[in-house]
Amino acid sequence: MKAHKLARLALLTALALIIFIIELRIDIIPIPGAKLGLANIITVYAVYKYSAKETAMIVLARVLLGSIFGGNISAIMYSLAGAICCLTGMLIVKRIVPLKYIWLSSIIGAILHNTGQMIVAVMVMRSFAVLSIYPFLIITGCIAGAFTGLCAQFLISRKLIEKENKKET
Amino acid sequence: MTKGVKVLIGAVIIIFAAAVVLAVIGLKPSESTWVDIVQNNKVIYHLDLSEEDDRTFRVDFPDGGWNDIQIKDGRISIVDSDCPDHTCIKTGELRSENIPIVCLPHKLVIRFSDEGAGE
Repeated sequence: MKAHKLARLALLTALALIIFIIELRIDIIPIPGAKLGLANIITVYAVYKYSAKETAMIVLARVLLGSIFGGNISAIMYSLAGAICCLTGMLIVKRIVPLKYIWLSSIIGAILHNTGQMIVAVMVMRSFAVLSIYPFLIITGCIAGAFTGLCAQFLISRKLIEKENKKET
Repeated sequence: MTKGVKVLIGAVIIIFAAAVVLAVIGLKPSESTWVDIVQNNKVIYHLDLSEEDDRTFRVDFPDGGWNDIQIKDGRISIVDSDCPDHTCIKTGELRSENIPIVCLPHKLVIRFSDEGAGE
């Protein structure tokens, strides 16, 4: 892997981590477990702009570092399961959905993220009681997913990051 | 717009609609006044909220950690906890049969139950 690519991936990871940590302080949604998932703007962007392996590296690094910096290591199982589900789903969906409909793959990613977390929650609790908040997570996930997807779409259509890349190379 | 995109948009709309319907069903307030406090899948308290006095008590988790549970005017909520996410506190009072108060780190669930169940 070339050094400048490595640096760019590291930069994206750092960006995602910063967004993630700032987002932890934003506590506006009263539904437990629901989040804006702004850090996924980077994930969505990376899915479309980089290879599967590189995206997986960004996401895994972000989840691991995010749980350490966020002081919530016990929640890492949920984040990890969500991230893996979301990532696999989006990498598959990427083949069907063109760049123009990136918000759609973001919504699907959000739904899969919540599904992954729910599966782990059911396994950890050994009870289906937690499933009752699942519909709420889906609703907020769809809205938040559409929002992050649109953010990523604007980011790509304005070619903000590509311009910088050309200068570098 | 290709066929695959259309199918996926349709699927997302269906999932979203189903979630809205389920959420509306889930918001139905409970008629029962009996509450189970479940830890690690074991019912540790079985209370009738209509007869309980206002009080706050602490539930300890065997692996460390605690939740302060408050009963006030026949309503139950978790008011304090040393769990990292505080999701259980944000849930607020227990209102619906389908939405229990859940503290995942301490494996604690507070939910409505039938009278006499769990005894």
